[in-house]
Amino acid sequence: MLEYRTQGYNGYSVKYSPFFDSRIAVAASANFGLVGNGRVYVLGLTPGGIVADKFFDTQDSLFDVAWSESHENQLLTAGGDGSVKLFDISLSEFPVQSWQEHAREVFAVHWNLVAKDTFLSSSWDGTIKIWNPTASASLATLPTHSCTYSAAFSPHSPSILSSVSSDSHLRIFDLRTPASASNHLTLNMPIHTPPKPRMGAAASVGVPPSEALTHDWNKYRDTILATAGVDRLIRTFDIRAPNAGPIAVLPGHEYAVRRVTWSPHLSDILLSASYDMTCRVWTDGSAMGVGGLKQENMVQQDPMVFGGGREMGRMGRHTEFATGVDWCLFGAEGWCASTGWDERVLVWDCRAIMQ
Amino acid sequence: MANQTGRGQQAQERLSQVSNHLSGGSSRKGKQSLLEKNPDDVVVTCALRTPFTKGGKGGFKDTQSADLLIGAFKALIQRSGIDPSLVEDIAVGTVLAPGGGATEFRAAALAAGFPVTTSTKSLNRQCSSGLQACVDIANAIKAGVIEIGVGAGTESMSTQYGPNAVSEFSEQLEAHKEAANCKVPMGVLSEKMAKAKGIPRSEQDAFAAKSFQKAIEAQKNGLFDQEIAPLTVKWTDPKTEEEKEITVSKDDGVREGITAESLGKIRPAFSKDGSIHAGNASQISDGAAAVLLMKRSTAERLGQTIIGKYVQASIVGVPPLLMGVGPAAAIPVVLEKTGLDKSEVDIYEINEAFASQCLYCINELGLDQNKINPKGGAIAFGHPLGVTGARQVSTLLTELKRTGKNIGVTSMCIGTGMGMAAVWVAE
Repeated sequence: MLEYRTQGYNGYSVKYSPFFDSRIAVAASANFGLVGNGRVYVLGLTPGGIVADKFFDTQDSLFDVAWSESHENQLLTAGGDGSVKLFDISLSEFPVQSWQEHAREVFAVHWNLVAKDTFLSSSWDGTIKIWNPTASASLATLPTHSCTYSAAFSPHSPSILSSVSSDSHLRIFDLRTPASASNHLTLNMPIHTPPKPRMGAAASVGVPPSEALTHDWNKYRDTILATAGVDRLIRTFDIRAPNAGPIAVLPGHEYAVRRVTWSPHLSDILLSASYDMTCRVWTDGSAMGVGGLKQENMVQQDPMVFGGGREMGRMGRHTEFATGVDWCLFGAEGWCASTGWDERVLVWDCRAIMQ
Repeated sequence: MANQTGRGQQAQERLSQVSNHLSGGSSRKGKQSLLEKNPDDVVVTCALRTPFTKGGKGGFKDTQSADLLIGAFKALIQRSGIDPSLVEDIAVGTVLAPGGGATEFRAAALAAGFPVTTSTKSLNRQCSSGLQACVDIANAIKAGVIEIGVGAGTESMSTQYGPNAVSEFSEQLEAHKEAANCKVPMGVLSEKMAKAKGIPRSEQDAFAAKSFQKAIEAQKNGLFDQEIAPLTVKWTDPKTEEEKEITVSKDDGVREGITAESLGKIRPAFSKDGSIHAGNASQISDGAAAVLLMKRSTAERLGQTIIGKYVQASIVGVPPLLMGVGPAAAIPVVLEKTGLDKSEVDIYEINEAFASQCLYCINELGLDQNKINPKGGAIAFGHPLGVTGARQVSTLLTELKRTGKNIGVTSMCIGTGMGMAAVWVAE
């Protein structure tokens, strides 16, 4: 396990470069992101350990970072002051572009993985904004009317994007639809819908809505998303069946889940980071042969343990809230990086903890 | 838009956002999370009752319901050391008082030393009124309506029990089958239920005798001393007609030497071949009880001693003719809500309205007999209707504390077909 200390700054998000297997960006904030400066680190993985190639300071806290998909030296930051900034790591000090449209903290930035010419941001102000790096104003504003902690483009389509927010809903937008009264919103799924009862098992009692903090698109199955948040459960949904409830529910985290991300190598594997200070690896039970351990007495089955998924291992080396985790796209499957409020970035191989 | 002047407020908002992430979550259930201590817990800092005395002949036979309440309030203020002006609302459960007792109880609160700024309401959910009062106050605290409140109950069955408790049923009520069932006397329907559910008299008598034996044992060992606040009242000697002042300090309905055999000799009260009689049903009694509730953070700020916390309550309806099954319906609901297994509860205080219905509920739920009413119940020391729910809190919390245990459930059946239950944790 490799380690880097973001001294004086508490980590909020970590992302591997899509261009280099040895480059990682970390968004961090002083004073736990409550008040004070932000800093984005560009870290290099070298034979001598992790070194900071570069860092940029910002006036306010930073809550997320995203690499440009079109330019290997550029990255985006999500600022507490409502700004979205584009930095070029070949330059020193200042961002090459800064957009100030959001009225509250920006919690997510994400680059369009297919078209590569647009990116999005989502904010506490209840909006998602679509941007072009060469345009000085946003291209579109999609309202969610609810603090939107996470938004992402589909990795399979240039015009489909999704979000989760504090109103416990997963939204899907399609930019090809006319910009009518629905503002491109094509699906609005309640995350807290209990799973469908199975034969021989008691129906689960309803669960109250709770804030959703993170979500991610599956990289292989283009209709599958995973969500997680304050109710400590990771769920997967199939957007082809928006009324069917979750297709898998993965309980286990002891506090809210701050980040969930699908493996770029295996279609059933998820990684999560939580306020319970652990990062955990999961299978959603969809791959052949990994099916869940059958519970012996059918009637005693916990209806919220659903879909045959299970936790495959956990990494408990963070000593404060684990807030960010990401997979390395290159090399042997399983390398990942995590960050947290303990001012540390850890780079580790999750095959070592999987059972 | 970030600006320098808004910085402090912004930091506060971000902090509360993160704390919401941590405190939220529906899966925070089960024993461990119940035992956690959070600043926004609703806690009990004092719970007490007057002694319970026999209706018509006991120590409080000449004492008005409101005067019993004054006694409980004065003791509550004195024992807790709370500044009465900090108490914002009082809920008093009562069943028989005409007009709900609303006027008398407000006056009683003032007479007991609460200032005019302390408001008072009365409420009536039959036999669970005392518990409903505590739950109402706890909910008001949780919702932020008030910060400190008192849940209480008072009943003078000696002076107010009688045929006037229910008005004549209208034609519409009589015409509806289930509605008309609501006025079937409880003794009669419990007799029918005992027969239908197959609970023999021998078992009822054995259960009732056990209640007496447990209560007399507890009384001898002083296990009620902590929860009882003695009360001095005027009392007319029935023999000499002489009015004197007496201090009542213990339940006078508890009798020594009761066995299943001695109860076996008593004539059934409701039908010749029946099984229910004066010895295996709750006693008609007088008394009052009060519980002081507030947030944990408030209790700590005021230096109040926390004796337990209120966790959750359930209320369910059942067929009016089967009102006795109420606890069997309500307890599983509250256990489900709190994520507790029935075996994780250390003590169940289930009101003994009738030995038959209490026994039925215990068997139906498969509860351990040794966990039920360890100091006896209403069969031994009485069931002043609106008081019982508030009484159970002091009985439960003192016994949990004494035995070094922590999780308790209070529950009762409710006339007209309901059941209520609540989970408490002793600290």
